[in-house]
Amino acid sequence: MSDLHTSRPAIDPDARPIVEARDLKTHFQGRSGIFSALAGVKPPTAKALDGVDLRIRKSEIVGLVGESGCGKSTLGMSLVRMYQPTDGRILYLDDDITRAEGRRLKDYRRQAQIIFQDPYSSLNPRLTIGQVIEEPLVIHDIGNAAERRERVVRALDLVRIPAVDNIDRYPSDLSGGQRQRVAIARALVLEPTFIVADEPVSMLDVSIQASVLELLDELSRKLGLAILYISHDIATVGYICDHVAVMYLGRIVEEGKAEDILSAPLHPYTQRLMAAIPRMDPGDTAGRAEIRGDVPSPMNVPQGCRFSSRCPYVADLCRAVEPELGQHPAGQRVRCHIYGSEGAKRFPDLQRPEWGRITEVTDAGTLAQASS
Amino acid sequence: MTSTSLATPENRTASPATMQALATLNDRLAAKPAAHLRVEKLSIAYSTARGPFHAVDDVSFEVKPGTNLGLVGESGCGKSTVIKALIGLQPEGTKVSGQALLDGQEILGLSERALQDVRWTKISLITQSAMNSLDPVYCIGDQICEAIQAHESVSRATAWARAEEMFALVGLPASRLHDFPHQFSGGMRQRTVIAMALALNAGMLLADEPTTALDPIMQSQIMSRIRGIHEHMRRSMILVTHDIAVVAETCENTVVMYAGKVAEKGPTTDVLARPLHPYTMGLQNAFPRLPVKGQPRQALISIPGIVPNLLRPPPGCRFAGRCPFATERCHIEAPAVTAVGAQSAACHYIDRAPEFREAAARPETWRKLGAGA
Amino acid sequence: MNQPSSPDAAAIRGRSLLGAMGQSLRLLTTDSFAVVGLAVLLLFVVIAISAPWIAPYEPFKAMMTESGRLNRLAPPSSAHLLGTTSFGNDVLSQFLHGFRVALLVGLVAAVAVGLISTIFGVVSGYFGGYVDDVLMRITDVALSIPTLPFSIVAVALLGPSVENIILVITILFWRNGARIIRSAVLTERERVYVKWARAAGASHLHIIMRHILPNIVRVIFLWVTMSVAFAVLTEASLSFLGLGDPTVISWGQMLNTAFSSGNLRTAWWWVIPPSLALVLLVSSLYLIGRAYEEQTNPRLRRR
Repeated sequence: MSDLHTSRPAIDPDARPIVEARDLKTHFQGRSGIFSALAGVKPPTAKALDGVDLRIRKSEIVGLVGESGCGKSTLGMSLVRMYQPTDGRILYLDDDITRAEGRRLKDYRRQAQIIFQDPYSSLNPRLTIGQVIEEPLVIHDIGNAAERRERVVRALDLVRIPAVDNIDRYPSDLSGGQRQRVAIARALVLEPTFIVADEPVSMLDVSIQASVLELLDELSRKLGLAILYISHDIATVGYICDHVAVMYLGRIVEEGKAEDILSAPLHPYTQRLMAAIPRMDPGDTAGRAEIRGDVPSPMNVPQGCRFSSRCPYVADLCRAVEPELGQHPAGQRVRCHIYGSEGAKRFPDLQRPEWGRITEVTDAGTLAQASS
Repeated sequence: MTSTSLATPENRTASPATMQALATLNDRLAAKPAAHLRVEKLSIAYSTARGPFHAVDDVSFEVKPGTNLGLVGESGCGKSTVIKALIGLQPEGTKVSGQALLDGQEILGLSERALQDVRWTKISLITQSAMNSLDPVYCIGDQICEAIQAHESVSRATAWARAEEMFALVGLPASRLHDFPHQFSGGMRQRTVIAMALALNAGMLLADEPTTALDPIMQSQIMSRIRGIHEHMRRSMILVTHDIAVVAETCENTVVMYAGKVAEKGPTTDVLARPLHPYTMGLQNAFPRLPVKGQPRQALISIPGIVPNLLRPPPGCRFAGRCPFATERCHIEAPAVTAVGAQSAACHYIDRAPEFREAAARPETWRKLGAGA
Repeated sequence: MNQPSSPDAAAIRGRSLLGAMGQSLRLLTTDSFAVVGLAVLLLFVVIAISAPWIAPYEPFKAMMTESGRLNRLAPPSSAHLLGTTSFGNDVLSQFLHGFRVALLVGLVAAVAVGLISTIFGVVSGYFGGYVDDVLMRITDVALSIPTLPFSIVAVALLGPSVENIILVITILFWRNGARIIRSAVLTERERVYVKWARAAGASHLHIIMRHILPNIVRVIFLWVTMSVAFAVLTEASLSFLGLGDPTVISWGQMLNTAFSSGNLRTAWWWVIPPSLALVLLVSSLYLIGRAYEEQTNPRLRRR
């Protein structure tokens, strides 16, 4: 059994990714009624996922963090082809499955599984634990009854739920942590290579979160699973992830090795996310710049840098041009003008953002520069 | 720059007479002292088809005027049940025994009529579901005014001015008072609920999981708002949360509950620095933390097992089934509350706490109990 | 229910759609009002089946007195337990035969209504989008049909027969059911396990049969129960208005004959039995329906 505090084995950065997203975009067209559609009224578009590159390798756990509405779940759902991407590509072992249909899509669904947040509604209350875990095998028409049962028992073993006592019980007889393990067993029974875990512990009590995280960690090592771990809690990401990507309004704003990002975040948004975590030892929260307001709607993405409407350091350049995801000497890649960007070279006249120069917002909503 | 700056609105539209009335109202409300709450031997049993469910059993604690008490524990430990009973919102047929004295007045088992006098004016509630109790067809301002006017004989204009002031306090523009409940986002709703709870300057604020299920940034914004208000107005407060770190940042005193009983209580700094109860130690070590540069990462532990069924509570210590240090005695005999200085805990082996603390930081200690929880 | 079993047993146990239906029936037996309703319903079914054998006379046979005259409007006696009609027919025999029509119309119409509204509701709710738009607009149009005028005109045009009455009832009542079932499906469709099943590659049929239908069986049952009551009442109303099938005898028709012959006020033995049976049948169905609703709607569930 693995310990969460021992570091994870290094992942070869040149290894072939199991799953890769290239400039992936998933936009949602608001659906209009039959009459307005006939009248030619165009519904608004929500750019939930707007150009994301990501690679997940064998045995690697990639953490994806951000607030709700940042597009992290949309990315997860798009990668397992629950949402049809609007643009860009999804590669599974170099095979483009972005628009796969029929047999090819069903084959991909065997390889890519998803675990959802809510352990209470993710299991059909009318099915026994055995039936729940058997269902993927039924869907993919694998084995006879006895073989299927054997695989179900093996999957339960993997998540450390005693099969004898539990296979004929109903989800209502289990605790939240046990249900989440059953959901993981259901994902494992098809022996997939890639799993999206969408907030798998955020509805569990703190006292049992670690055991589920530990299980994911162990599965990635033992079975070589590529795991995308989605969470709004950047603190849990630190325990199991090799690589972390921080998302904001449909784009990655910072990514790199988990230890680099968690020990020295560069993007103002990542810094704020980290500062938002309550500390057990009070007193180290001082000197952090507050970010304002709520996440803007993905139907109305701000001009320039997407974070400019909330960033405490925003300057004219930020509102004019969106920075690219650039390599920073510290190791990670970051999308911010503070660290220099192509835009800064192209518009040398525009004021650039600087560390420590906090931009005040007056009540009227206009921005004014305040010297700090 | 933090969000704790407590601005007063500058561009007021009210007439001088209203301003005068508002000043009088504010003075009167400000004169209300912070409340003192003493809860003694509180037990609460829900009636279910399968018999009484002992959600809270023999809970005692005290909130001194102007202080902030954190009530922590995992889901089903009875923390929200305590709050509901204090404000008279327990479901019908629930058996409540014990005492809860608010400034010397018994508030358990009050009639609906008497409760109306107490709620809002002496004790008010901040919950996430509070917005759902608002009428969707009236604007927020109207509903706050109605509550103010129900308890204070002031004009509507004065009540509105007070509502504007409360909105400014929680960082919402006064213009939003004209909006309807559904027009508010999650964070704004939470601020509105806080503004409403403050409207009559109740001496006692009960905040029941005010930030659970909110995004981390929103959560930190709301919590710093609550902290700012607490420092500024010095009301007494109980903060219910499952998040021990929120308590660490916010509360002077802490009560850790487990399966309906108090496991440990005392000043927050003592409880977190030197926990006496193995459950507190577990809860603390289960909390994910950010790595500190140059220091080895602390192990994240999980507490195996599940909370006992409170239809038939176990005879001994309720944590015994999940405690790595439990002995036979723990399973048979319920531990009494033992005090160590200002701190106290219900554990037979309180004297071995330093030894336990060391062991509890290691994941192997907890794993011995078997996996599969 | 949860006895441990050995893991080497050949297959995985559990309950399916049939199990969900069985469970729904079992739930009813826990409610004392529903048990009364079920008992009445069972009694009615037994009477309907055995009517030809227990009825003392042919329902349309004219009874003669000893003096050879038509035995009109005779009050109850030992020969005619419920007296006779103005045409000299035995009321008890007519009344007993009435059970057959009432239950036949009720059951056939309810099954047809249940089937159509389930298909409409499930397809509309599950697939959503433009399918939903189209199906629900059809339902809206159907909902705008006024009940009584439509049934009168339709039966008058198609001709008064039991089949036509059933057809009219089906056309009238599937629409509300479709809406109710659709909204139940909308809730079920959003369940996380349904989302999961789609991600796992399950077919629509698989999802509907395994995850949607078992969870809305109660709603369908509730609606079918209510439809039986509506159908029985509608048949009685149409027959009372003189639009019933003249070749069969139903309670509505008995009341219609009593009314049109001007004996509604005097011949109590002719009027009370069919009225009482109607009230009993409909209220027993409502009792069953109410018990269902209590189970389906947790807010009504007693602690």
